[in-house]
Amino acid sequence: MKPRIPLPSDAVNELGLADTSGLAPRIAVARQQLRRTAFRMRSVDPVTTELVRIRNARFQQCVF
Amino acid sequence: MTWLTGLPEAESDWDRLAALSPDAVGALSDVVVAAWDDTDPLLLELARLRIATLLGHRGEQARRSERARVMGLGEEKLAELAAWPTSPQFDARERACLALTEQFVVDANGVTDELVADVTEHLGGVGCYAFVEAVSVVETFQRACLVLGIDDAPGVDELAAGRGPAPEEVT
Repeated sequence: MKPRIPLPSDAVNELGLADTSGLAPRIAVARQQLRRTAFRMRSVDPVTTELVRIRNARFQQCVF
Repeated sequence: MTWLTGLPEAESDWDRLAALSPDAVGALSDVVVAAWDDTDPLLLELARLRIATLLGHRGEQARRSERARVMGLGEEKLAELAAWPTSPQFDARERACLALTEQFVVDANGVTDELVADVTEHLGGVGCYAFVEAVSVVETFQRACLVLGIDDAPGVDELAAGRGPAPEEVT
């Protein structure tokens, strides 16, 4: 996938996508913390979580 | 009023939700504050209010960000927000950001190269990335509050005032 914006480097992340981790650093850190918090809650079972994730990815046409 | 049941007693629905799940609400609040920290507050306020109109979020429509006000955003301009494509109150930079915001909210798959290029022309690549991230945060927050029936969620100024130290990167 070709990025639509000019990026400071050609670095890619573990998924082979453009590494954007340094572009909005405070949002990136806060999002990571929220994901960790949500994961730790375990209040939704893993099957439902995965079904919602995949359904949303298809709806958004996100192939990753 | 929220339809959630079994929430602890507190002054507002937001406070009751926070009492039920303080870690999650705290982390979500930090994301909202970070979105404003990484973006031009005036542009994000315009986007936030436009999103509130599109989603029908009356509480968010009525709120005003102090961060944007101190940068010069006033009611005269906000009264013209729905007419941003033609109103002389808005410049090309703001129009580019509002066009991308509207398409993002209505159908993110419909965001075109041209919409992104228009924003990038004014904000640069890094600025465009941060703006899209911030719009995503604001939209998600408003949708979550609407779904949960939380009408009294605090704005970024209150969230920033009430938060602790910024979350640290955990390896």
